[in-house]
Amino acid sequence: MAKGLPKAFKKSLWVYHINSGSCNGCDIEIIAALCPRYDAERFGIKLVGSPRHADVLLITGPVTRQMVDKVKRAYEQMPDPKAVIVVGNCGNTGDVFYESYNLVGPIDNIIPVDVHVIGCAPRPENIIYGVIKAWTKLETLEAKK
Amino acid sequence: MKRLSPEEIVDQFKEKFGDNIKDSSIKTYHIGPKKIELPDLWITVDRSVFKETVRYLITLEKYPHLAVISGYDAGDTINLIYHFFIYFGEKRREQSINIVVPLPKSNPVVDTISDIIPGALISEQEKQEMLGVKIKDIPKDSRVFISEDFPEDKYPWRKDEKGVDDIARNLHEVEKDE
Amino acid sequence: MNKTITYQIPIGPIHPALKEPVMFEFEIEGEKIKDVDVHLGQVHRGIEWAGMRRNSIQILYLAERICGICSYSHPAAFTLAVERIAGIEVPERAEYLRVIQAELERICSHILWAGVAAHEIGFDSVLFLTWQIREKALDLTEYLTGNRVTKAIMMIGGVRRDITEDMLPTIRKSLDFLKENFEKLRKVFLDDKTVQMRTKNCGILTKEDALKLCAVGPTTRASGVKKDARLDQPYFAYNELDFDYVTPDVLTGEVNGDVYDRIIVRLLEVKQSIDLIEQCLDRMPSGEILAEPKIQKLLIQLKKAEGEAIGIIEAPRGEDIHFVKLVGEEHPHSWKVRAPTYNNILPWIPMLKGEQIADIPIVAASTDPCMSCTNRVAIVKNGHRDILLAEDLHRLSVEKTRRLMK
Repeated sequence: MAKGLPKAFKKSLWVYHINSGSCNGCDIEIIAALCPRYDAERFGIKLVGSPRHADVLLITGPVTRQMVDKVKRAYEQMPDPKAVIVVGNCGNTGDVFYESYNLVGPIDNIIPVDVHVIGCAPRPENIIYGVIKAWTKLETLEAKK
Repeated sequence: MKRLSPEEIVDQFKEKFGDNIKDSSIKTYHIGPKKIELPDLWITVDRSVFKETVRYLITLEKYPHLAVISGYDAGDTINLIYHFFIYFGEKRREQSINIVVPLPKSNPVVDTISDIIPGALISEQEKQEMLGVKIKDIPKDSRVFISEDFPEDKYPWRKDEKGVDDIARNLHEVEKDE
Repeated sequence: MNKTITYQIPIGPIHPALKEPVMFEFEIEGEKIKDVDVHLGQVHRGIEWAGMRRNSIQILYLAERICGICSYSHPAAFTLAVERIAGIEVPERAEYLRVIQAELERICSHILWAGVAAHEIGFDSVLFLTWQIREKALDLTEYLTGNRVTKAIMMIGGVRRDITEDMLPTIRKSLDFLKENFEKLRKVFLDDKTVQMRTKNCGILTKEDALKLCAVGPTTRASGVKKDARLDQPYFAYNELDFDYVTPDVLTGEVNGDVYDRIIVRLLEVKQSIDLIEQCLDRMPSGEILAEPKIQKLLIQLKKAEGEAIGIIEAPRGEDIHFVKLVGEEHPHSWKVRAPTYNNILPWIPMLKGEQIADIPIVAASTDPCMSCTNRVAIVKNGHRDILLAEDLHRLSVEKTRRLMK
């Protein structure tokens, strides 16, 4: 992790979302978390369209063969400091897709993961809680310096 | 156009293609609370006349709806099943026609139908990579679902040595440090 | 000098959604799209292969995870095929309960789509409005099934949860809320001038192309093809209910097959679904909800079953077909899943040809493939590659809306 957290990091997290082969269930819950009922945007959490703008990588799915390279590249494009959150059981362990010829996951085999959000699909509250965990982790890291 | 009953369709097929119609059956499902009868037509044809049967279908319905091509490994042969629907557009009139085309494993080649029904293209491409059949004269001969770096000559739905059992991995397995 | 250069633009595939994520390769001349090539398979998980090594009841839960939005339709189509092979008779009440679940899913899915479509043309406030209404439908789903997304309500031979008498007031209240808000949505989408400007005469799919390319669901109905598995080959209790094909001429008297028509079809279907649920609540007889409540017994019965059959369901996006072959073993011999978007990919090509780059998001989204998250565009120019981001593509789309509003 790079030196100190930038000011913006403390106030608002920008999140980039990759679907690496999930069923879409987690993805709609992520959007639901941003919509008025749960309204994560009031905390400044915002979904952005490019990994280069993001502080946090939200990643779903068990990673198919075709997506490994793309996941790695998106991770590398993110500026430091960064946190990775895996949303959903299949990204964490494989879950129902435990056996396959086209899957490379779970995600922690491919990139380092900071927070695991479990559930199939996790509720929006759960996802927001995961983002807060990532926040806490980054703050703790900063405090240790 | 006059709607033919499933029995009439089978008779017409037999009349036109004779011995090349290997088998035919009409399954009847009972659906809903009132147990209404729904006929489901299955015809097995020889691959030599397969394209002709599709051309014949077009005389029954100008644009038959090809839902999908499915298929399976049946030991010595690979059976492709073309699921067609005709007579749609009015309540309970639709008739399904499932045409089964067995292909010998030694030479699993069948003619393309995407020149007659353009919507068949993706389905045909998928059968090439999943079952290892060869679609003759297919307009676009690339992989769709499986990545380019996937080993050649491995087909996920095959149940013989060309299957993928040996390259599949279990995501729950954790490597132990020795 | 009159030399035109065509560029190639690949779009995708990070952030593909659904079972069939896509990567487009566009050949463009200036702003106009000349040719389109579609690449699939970034989310190919090998589900059908995995299904061939699990038993029929385990497959229900695997099928549920083919797509999170159609998490009821896939197990339903699989169940239908298996029931046909094994000759299982479903109790009458369960047939009605299944219709209620299917229609509830259609409401959730169509409202979700309306939000995504609004987002694509730059109306984020409408995205929030629609998703707020959708939350109410999700609340109802949760009330009936216990979960928001993956519902696990389907079981071979029936459903797993009943609707009791004391649940009816809550259900009716939710339906009334949806009905009231439907009017709001109808006004936003059908009467708004800007929406009309962006969607009329855009992304046209002619009736002939729809038939030739075997399009399904609202996409084909918006082009005037009367094709709806609920009516063509009724299943569950659909045969007992009163409803008809939804084509755009019901409302406007004409069929153009453009994006606007697809909005009409989906919106009218939301209304139809609410109506169907109410019909079911009124007509539902009392009785059992499962043919065989003991799962072990059911498994033994399924182990003995032999034969092959197809199950056809009208999922929110179109007909969903599962082919199943059982050979008297624990695992099915083969299983083929055909999700609706599979057939709606080829129709993209005639829809997109001749359109502008700024129209890509809304045209692609109009078949409801969840291409909402088109992400990365690279422009190849004399071998030199510039990266354009999804944001830029979205920005272009939004700018066009603003331009039209002036």
